[in-house]
Formats: sequence, C-alpha cells, structure tokens
Amino acid sequence: MKQLRFPTMSRRELLFSAGGGLGGVALASLLSQNNLLGAPTEGGTCAAGTRKPGLMAARKPHFAPKAKSVISLFMTGGVSHIDTFDPKPSLRKYHGQPLSGFGNIVVRQGYPGPIMGSPYTFRKYGQAGTEVSELFPHMGSIIDEVALIRSGYGISNDHVLAHYEWNTGSLLMGHPSVGSWVTYGLGSENQNLPAYVVVYDPRGGPNAGVSNWNNGFLPAATQGTVFRPSGDPILDLRPPAGIAPEQQRARLDHLAKLNEEHAAHYPGSGELAARIASYELAYSMQACAPEAVNLNEESPATHKLYGLDDPVTEPFGRQCLLARRLVERGVRFIQLFNGAKARTDIDDWDAHSNLADNHGAHAREIDKPISGLIRDLKQRGLLDETLVMWHSEFGRMPISQKGLGRDHNPGAMSFWMAGAGIRGGQVIGATDEFGYKATEQPVSYHDVHATILHLLGMDHKRLTYYFNGRQMRLTDVHGELIPQLTS
Amino acid sequence: MPKLALFFFAVTLSANTSFTRDVLPILQRNCVGCHGNAQQMSGFSLSKRESAIRGGSQGAAIVPGKSGESALIRRVTGVLQPSMPVGGKLSDMEIATLKKWIDEGAPWEGTVTAAPPAQTSRKITDADRNWWAFRKPVHQAPPAVSDPRWKRNAVDAFIFAKLQERELQPVARADKATLVRRAYLDLTGLPPTAEQASAFVNDTSPEAFTKLVDRLLASPHYGERWGRHWLDVARYADSGGYEQDFTYPNAWRYRDYVIRSFNQDKPYDRFVREQVAGDELENPDYDALTGTGFHRVGSTVGFREKDNPQYRFIYLDDLIGTTTRAFLGMTVSCARCHDHKFDPISQMDYYRLMAVFYPYVNYDHPLAPAAQVAEYESKKSGLEARIAPLQVKVRELEAPYRKLAFEQKLATFPADIQAAVRTPEEKRTEGQKLLATQVLSIRPNNHRSLMKPEDRAALDALNSQIRELQKQMPKPLPVAMGVRDGDYRLAPLGPGDDEAPGKGNKEDSDEEINDTYVPVTGKPYKPPKAYFLERGDYLSRGPEMQPGFLEIVGDLGVPGAIAPSDGRITTGRRRALAEWIASPTNPLTARVMVNRIWQHHFGRGLVMTSSNFGRLGRRPSHPELLDWLALEFIRSGWSMKHMHRVIMNSETYQLASQYSSASVLESDKDNIYLSRYPQRRLEGESIRDAILAVSGKLNPQPGGPAYFPPVAERVRKSVAKGIWQVNEEGPDVWRRGVYSYFKRGMKYPMFEVFDQPDPNVTCESRSTSTVPTQALTLLNNEFVVQQARYFAERVMQLAGPEQEAQVRTAYRIALSREPSVAELTSNVTFLNRQRTAHSQAQAPGLEALADLCDVLINLNEFLYIN
Repeated sequence: MKQLRFPTMSRRELLFSAGGGLGGVALASLLSQNNLLGAPTEGGTCAAGTRKPGLMAARKPHFAPKAKSVISLFMTGGVSHIDTFDPKPSLRKYHGQPLSGFGNIVVRQGYPGPIMGSPYTFRKYGQAGTEVSELFPHMGSIIDEVALIRSGYGISNDHVLAHYEWNTGSLLMGHPSVGSWVTYGLGSENQNLPAYVVVYDPRGGPNAGVSNWNNGFLPAATQGTVFRPSGDPILDLRPPAGIAPEQQRARLDHLAKLNEEHAAHYPGSGELAARIASYELAYSMQACAPEAVNLNEESPATHKLYGLDDPVTEPFGRQCLLARRLVERGVRFIQLFNGAKARTDIDDWDAHSNLADNHGAHAREIDKPISGLIRDLKQRGLLDETLVMWHSEFGRMPISQKGLGRDHNPGAMSFWMAGAGIRGGQVIGATDEFGYKATEQPVSYHDVHATILHLLGMDHKRLTYYFNGRQMRLTDVHGELIPQLTS
Repeated sequence: MPKLALFFFAVTLSANTSFTRDVLPILQRNCVGCHGNAQQMSGFSLSKRESAIRGGSQGAAIVPGKSGESALIRRVTGVLQPSMPVGGKLSDMEIATLKKWIDEGAPWEGTVTAAPPAQTSRKITDADRNWWAFRKPVHQAPPAVSDPRWKRNAVDAFIFAKLQERELQPVARADKATLVRRAYLDLTGLPPTAEQASAFVNDTSPEAFTKLVDRLLASPHYGERWGRHWLDVARYADSGGYEQDFTYPNAWRYRDYVIRSFNQDKPYDRFVREQVAGDELENPDYDALTGTGFHRVGSTVGFREKDNPQYRFIYLDDLIGTTTRAFLGMTVSCARCHDHKFDPISQMDYYRLMAVFYPYVNYDHPLAPAAQVAEYESKKSGLEARIAPLQVKVRELEAPYRKLAFEQKLATFPADIQAAVRTPEEKRTEGQKLLATQVLSIRPNNHRSLMKPEDRAALDALNSQIRELQKQMPKPLPVAMGVRDGDYRLAPLGPGDDEAPGKGNKEDSDEEINDTYVPVTGKPYKPPKAYFLERGDYLSRGPEMQPGFLEIVGDLGVPGAIAPSDGRITTGRRRALAEWIASPTNPLTARVMVNRIWQHHFGRGLVMTSSNFGRLGRRPSHPELLDWLALEFIRSGWSMKHMHRVIMNSETYQLASQYSSASVLESDKDNIYLSRYPQRRLEGESIRDAILAVSGKLNPQPGGPAYFPPVAERVRKSVAKGIWQVNEEGPDVWRRGVYSYFKRGMKYPMFEVFDQPDPNVTCESRSTSTVPTQALTLLNNEFVVQQARYFAERVMQLAGPEQEAQVRTAYRIALSREPSVAELTSNVTFLNRQRTAHSQAQAPGLEALADLCDVLINLNEFLYIN
C-alpha cells in the first residue's frame, strides 16, 4: 500500500480512494455490482475472500506478508513472568531478603517487600527444553510452536497506561489501536464481517476499556467491533422484535430504489454509492455474523480440544474457538481478553494480595484453550498465515507485596508469538537474576508493533496517517524489528 | 577524522585557551542546565570557579592543572559512570579543549549562566516571515465581475473570478425547498418543520433568504449547533478519561457558556479572552470565569496526580497545544522536545508559552456574590470545627478493635510473615522489616463487628452526631470549573494521592513555596518558576523561562504580563497571551476563525487544514478571499453572525449541490473552487436530533447538566470505571445531542459510529466514514425504530388514512419538500404492498406507514445537507 498523503485528498475520500475502493466508479456499474449482494446466506457467501465492492476493500501490503491475520490473546491485569515463563531459582534462594543492587525499587502500591520465591515449579518442555511453570502444562506442550520472548518491557506501572502502551503504542489516551492501524493498512478480506473484532471476558471489559480498540484519529471504520461469543455478536445486528425479515427486506428494497433516484442527481458520487452499498453489506452481516459465532457447527472433538466440556475452560475456550472461526472467515485482527476489571484482584491477573490464588485460577481458564487454538490452527493449515500473540500489560515484581502477592513491574515481562512463519521453540532475550529488569535484548512495545506490522507485510515507518500537523505512526519515532522473528 | 580537521585541531590547540571564547560555550551548551544556577544536580554547580572545583556530592570535579584527575574529564570521556552529559557526548575537540584548559590551571572569568539553547538553534529566515500565514492580511478590492448573478457580495466576486480563471461553469441556484432545508440544518442542526419550509418557499420577496438567515441566527438552536463545532475544537467531554474516567460535574457550564456565547454573538476577540484568561480580565463576570473551563475540559488522569509530577507537564502540553491549534492554527506542541521541524517555532517559543501557563492551578470559581461566598465558607468551616473533635473520639474508640481485627487477619498469614510482624522492630532482619512495614499497613474493616455492644452503641451515636452536623452543611454554591494562578505544589490531595513520606513533588523542594494554593490579597505571591526542559524531559531542566509568545509573530506591542488593576493577585500572563491572540494585528487569529466558519458552511475550509496554517498544512484555495473575510471579521467587531450573513447571502452559498453529469464532478473533483454546493453528511448528533424532530418528540429544553441516553447493558459492561446512568427512552432523554453526556471512556454508540471525534485532542474537522454498522444502527437500533413509529403516528394523525396524503405529509416533514409524481406513485405502491404484508396486524395501515417512515429517515437525502 502506498503511503496515504492527506493533502491530496479529503479524509472522507480516504476510505474509498485507498486501495481501489469506490471512488470514481460510475454509479451505474456500481449498482449492478450491488445486485450481486442480494442473497447473503446460501452457498457459503459468508466465507472469506468473497470479492465485493468493498467499503473496506482488502489492500496490498508494502511487501509480501508472512501472515494475513492476527490473534492477540491479552491477559489483562499483569501476568507474573517469574511464575510462568521466566524461572528464577535465585528468588527461592534469597526468599525473605531485600532485593538490593537495583537502586530505588519503584512499586505501585505502598512499600517494597522482600524477595519472594515462586510457589511454582518449572519443567522442561519441547525439543529445546524450554522451562515453563506448572501453571501452564498445556502451553508447555506447544512450546515448540512458539517463540518465547523473556525480555519485554514497558514504561508505565499503571494498568491503564500500560494497556495504552501495548495496544496503542502511546502512554496517552486516544491513540489508534494496533488493530485499527492494521485495518487501516490492509482493509478487510471479508466485507460481511468487521475487519477487527474484539471479544472480552464474559465477566466484563478489561482495564482501559474501549481505548484498547479505539480508532483514535484514524477513520471510525477502523475501530474494533466487540463481538459476544454467543447470541447476536454485534450491536443492533438484528431488527427489534416485531419486525419480520420480509418486512425488513421490503424496506431495504424500497430504500435502495429511492436512494438510487436521489443519487442520479449526483452522478459519479462515490460517497452516495458507498452508502447505498453499506445497507446491503449490513444486510449480509446480519446473516454472516451469527453464522460466524455459531460454535454448534463445530464437532464434539473440537469442543473438547478447546475445553468447552469443562466449565472452567469453557468461557475462554469459546473465545478461542470463535477466534479461529473468524480467522477462517478473513477477519484481519482479533483480540481476546482474559480477565475483567470487575472485582479487584480477582477477575483479572492483578495478583496484589495473593499470587497463588489469583494466577492459579486464571491459568486454568486459559491454558487448555490456548493450546487447543494453536493445535487447531496448525492442523487446519492456518497457523502459517496467522500471527498468534500471548501477552499482558506488564510483568510482576520479584519482591512480595504483603507477603503473598506481587506488585506491578513494567521493567520485565514474558510474552510469546507463534505462527506467521515464526520459528518455534526459540527463546529470545533474558532478564536479570531476579527477573526485575529485561537485560538481554530488551524488547519494547514499539519493537513488537513494528514486528507485527512487518509480519503482515507493512513497514512501520511507511504506514502513516496525517493528523494534527504530522504524519502519525503506530511506532511514533521508535520501533526496531525483532530480528529472530523477521529474518 | 579527515586530515583537514586534524590540522585545524592542532592549530587551535597551539594557543592558550580562552575561558570565554573556548570553554564557556561548552559549559553553557552541555552542563549548566543541570549544574548551574537554576538547579544543581548532585549538589554540583558550574556557575562559579569555586563551586566547580569543589564539586558536589560525588566529590571534587576539577583539579586545576591535572585534567587526568578531574572528575569532569573522567565523566565526559566515559571513564567514570554515569558519563556526562546525560544522553549526549562531547566531541573529541571539545574534550581536548576542556583538558587543555584544566591543565592550564582552569582560569575563570565571571559567573556562568545558562545560555538559552534554542535561540541559537532556530533562526527565523525571510522565507519564514514570508510564509503566507505570517504576513498580515492585505485588503484587496474584490475582482470586478460583469455577470450580474455574481455581484451579490465580495464573496461571490472572489469565487466567481477563480471559477472563470479555471474555466469552471457553476451550476444553477438551488431550489427554494433545498435552500430552506440547507439553511436550517446548517445553522441549527435541525430540519425545518413543514410549515417553516413552506413559509419560505411561498415568500417571494427578494429578501426572503436574508430574512430567513436572520431568523435562524436569532434561534437558540443556532448556538447548539455552532457551539458543538467549537466544542470539537475545545476537545470537550464530560469526564476525564484514563483509568478512573471521573465525571467533571461542572463541565456542562462551559458547554452552556459556549452555546450562550454563540447565541449572543459575543465578539470573537472577547470569546478568546474569556477562554484563555477570563479570570484575569478586569472585573470578570460569571461568563468570563466559566470560559476558563477551556483549560479544564481536556483529559486528565485524575488519580495519584501528586505522586506523578510528569502528569502536570502532559496537561501543560495539552493547554499549549490546544490553545495554539484552536486560536492560531499553529502546531506548537511539535516544539516540545526540539525545534519545530517545518515551521518557525522554536523550542524556546514552546517554553516561553509554558511559562505563560505555568502558574495555573485548577480552580472552581464560585458563581455567587462575594458576600455569599464568605458566608458559605464561614458556615462550612464552623461545622468542620465541630466535626473534627468527634472524629478524634471515633478513632480513639475504634483503636483497640482495629488492633484486634488486624491480629485476627494476621493469624491467617503464613508463619514466616506472622513471625516478621511479631518480631520486635529492633530484632527484625532487613527482609522482615520490609515485610512488616507492608503487612502493618493492612487495615481490615471488620472492627465494628468485633466491638462490645456498649462501645458499638457509643460509636454509632458519635457517627450519627457527625452525620447530623454534615447534614447542616450549607448547600454547595454553584461553581464553574476553571483555572486561576496559584501554586500547584499546594494542590489538595486528590483521589489516590498518598501522603506517605518520600512521595510528592520532591523536585521542587529546593524552591520557595507559597503559603496558600491560591494567592490571598495582601500577601506576597511568587509564581512557581518555569524552566526550559531539555528534550521535553521534565527532569532535565534548562534555564528559567520568562513568559512570551511566538517569535515569528512578534510581540504586537503586548507586554508579557498584564496584571488586573482591581487589586486581585494573578500574574496576568494568560491575559497578555489573550490580548496578543485577540489583537487585530495578529495575522493568524481572524484568519483561523473565519476559516472555521467557512469550513462548517461548506464542509471544508478555504484552508483545508483548519488547525494547521503551517507548512504541513494546505495553502488557502482563495487567499485573497480569506484575507478579505478576516479583515471584514475584524471590521465588524469580530461578529460571527455577521460572517454567517456575509457567507450565506452569497450566490456561492446558494448554488445547487446537484449537477447534471459525471464530467462536472471530474472537472472539479474535490469541489475546491465551489462550482456547486458541497453535499455533506450530518454528524451523529444532528442525525439523532433530526430523527427526533421529524418524529415530533424532540424535547428542546436547553442547557443544564448532561443527560444520559439509554445504552445497551452489554455496552455499559465494557466500561471498567465511571458511571453511565441507566435511563429509559422518554422525553427526558429526547433532547439535543449536544446536551448528552460525553464520556471519554465510552461514547454513545450511535454518535460513535457516525464519527464523533476523539475528545482527547482538539479536532479541526470530523471524518466522514461509511460503514455497514451505520446502516445497522439506523435500521435496527431500538431508538430509531421507535422514533420511526412515532413519526408514522404523527403522519397518520395529520394526514388521515388516505395514502397519497400520507406520503405528501411524510415528505414535507422528513424532506421539507413535495414528492414528485413518480415518488408519489412508488410510495403509494409500497404502502399498499406493506399493508397487504401486514394484513394480520391490528392496524395494517399504520404498520405500512411505519415501514415508509423508517425508509425515509434512512434516505441519503435525509442524512445529508444537500
């Protein structure tokens, strides 16, 4: 995709001009194409790649991509790296002693405590023998599929600001999310579904709420759409009770007729044509979105693979299975949240008061579904063209909080990336002896964002949008590719 | 190193070094920002020879005659860590100069003060001064036009001349039905009623349109529409955003102030002064104080602000960025960390402006006479004095039980933690000390349940006494959220702020702090000092800054501070900025605002980037017209309503939007030259307003606290923090969109899907996207479906059962026009078909009509200004 230079076109035209959308297409031919949109459900027209005159038509990346879609598995609240993917024997060795040699220890709440050993044991998994804690036996079993990064770091130790960092690349509220940038850059493969879908924990929204999937200064069309994993996935998807489908169809037909008469006075207007088309797309979406979320179509074996047969793993299992179905249907960017900002310290990963209780519960919820997702993507041949990322907003402290918990630590965190042709089984970077700071090949969120865009075929320095006097970028003036994942 | 440089190097070093010529510039550029008069990091100052030799907490810095032993040299060469300067490196030649100077005995001349670094880095050139936006608007006589159609006013002359120059053929004038609808939607955001439309269509007098414009400008709905445009620029919302997303309980007063200002046709220069510095004007009235809400309605973290001094610099950046974009069309924020890359705005300009704002503090101005405020304060403090001793008693009574509750809680902890707490303080290991400090801070809240009955009764009695006294507290006075000058370091603790030792604004502890948060008349007031910040880092202080404005524009004869003459204590810096902005000789101000007015009449400004008149913005499509409008604006006494009249009474404004063939579209694709009126979609707020208008359910109640439109539970659930009041559909929430609660953390979905801008930064122009979810909203949203039904009932009542009459009535209400014969036929056919489809329903006729009404409010013709 070429860089979109604001001064040469108005913003309202951006969506259409970028990537051969509707701009300049004669209305007559457009309307005849629209007739193709009449029957949405039969014959698999909900499937990916259905070529239609798109409002968000698929656009060419800068170079050949490794992946077409992204699934982000975001653990809100802050997963402790030193109890999951980054074993630190010294924590047990020096348990109860002050952490020294790091200067002033900055904690989020109250006062710093002494070093606290992990309550968990670690085991070697996979061909490379990567150590993973007993919290994640299932994720351990797929460790050869993922590249584990043990040297992530951010800036803020505040949940919300750290969510902004990892999901928008800025500490400040209101910047476009990664998914919005991806949607802006690549458009959608499937006009019957939103390009960017968010499924949050049934217990409630994550820290930072809608700002995680906000479009900021990018066009509203690039915003994440929240799906519920069951029932009607999209807001206002279906007519309220009392309006029959035939009644709606009749309204739509009459609307199209009157709108076309009106448009005849504005020959060649791309915007009016697009609005006419948007009604037919909405109509298709009414059929295709419920179809996409209908997990009953999946076999019992698949249900079991994702843990839908167990009430503990069922909620996140449904989210993961839905993600796979959306990838199959060409949805570009999917973000799943585990954890909700509902009950403090309980519903998300924010283990201030009791690490073992908190992480034990959340780990059980996600472990099996995530391994199921990776296996399923692989067996269906989708893993190569899908980037899967497991992450959180920061790691946690090697020192204790009030004896049993851990406070926030933006200085170090573990996350992993899989699929998209990434070589699995590798471990990238390292933290210090206690896991307090990333020391070897530290990886910032800007680096991760640059890497995500790269794997999708986009140069993070060339994907820009003119706003408030500047060509804005997801990575601002930062971002280095993670070489082990991009070369 | 190239040979030539080596040679030069050798020659330079052959002579004795001169402190002033060779050494001073190095120290000024690299060192004294942190180690000088303004601040002495690590207790080290390079301002005088004695202090430079003595060094700071890390020991001697310079050993005269021995550069190898001097810490200064060891640090700049990286031998000693941390190396200096932080984040940079001296050149080999600079290091050699310093070495030689020390070896020569480190001779010294005078006192070293920091040189303002950026003054030397960004010189203003003739090309800068000649940039169109910095040249004063020049009055040019409108071009002579022979075509009588284009002789209406100067606007037409400029537009038509350009069309001729480009060989573009303008379309015909719009028909009257289109014009009346356009004028209503444009000025009030509401479609005309059928009666209003026909009254205009039937008024054949030549002044019909002029009168219409005057009528609409007098309507209170005008301010609701145009005030909303300004609220986009002011990045207005009703909550603070970020994690807590606290409600701003008085933000609505600023919103109403903006609407009122437009309705009153407040001179724009006054509007500027009130918003920038209303509190510093002579004898400010309530509106002037409320106007300062402009500085408050942006996003704020609102939590643990005192623990995080960097937030204040984020807010200052927001003030500088919003003020300069909104009023001057300049992107000054770009100069926070370095000189502006494209425009002649230096980092010094930025920090001069920061010094203007630096003394500001958040302040809720009481909107009541002074005597009433005094009475309120005295009543309140009297009651507080009676409550305080009762609270002491409560604490005494609770103390043993709180201790007991803690003991019980402690018993649930693992043995090693209990041991840490129970070990006497002096015997605890270092680790136990940390643990004990943490665990002792736990305060379980179940102490009441542990109390003996008589103590519990005593506690309850005390608490009820306290409650009784609290009930007697006088009703809070109305206040406007605004700003005034004061001392931010004395801000009261906010939510989450911790008084724990070692927290707070330590970086200022070496400076003189005032006695009170806001100055008291008769007592001295020292405004907190503002500093140049290297690379925008609030910890990297450079020299102290004095207030000033943009050098490229000059001082325009306005001093740096204008204190009010009525004895109130304030720096007057923002007042000076306001006078400088609102000066008729400022080349930017009038142009920026007339361009915004033009933008909202035509969908885009003569300068398309209406908040950026710099080099990255667009150049004006009609520079002479822009200047003419700017000068006319000033000449009229900065009257916005005058500018509406000038623009709307032009032939240009009254052109049709329709055109005959696609070739017209091709010839002026973006309609920059206005050969036709640019059709444009309504904003989300106006779409909802228009739906309510045609359904007959619009509640026109103006102003007051925001209402919460009903939002689906699943949407509310996505919001982690902050409120969204749950309401039913009904007249209370069927008010105009501008009055609905604008929550930063969760937009109202219908507005959001129609491109409501992000309120965290100033918005010059909304984007217009076209996506299927907009169609879903207008097709399926319960509010829309319900209003369509009310619309149908209304039509039924007015037109009766006869279908042709129904169609005519529905068209008049929804589209302000008569249906064509073909439309009549096709709509009647539709009604008949739907009637048959609904034959089982109780009222098939009404059902069919509801279907039609639903279609009408989905029409492009309904959603666009044509």
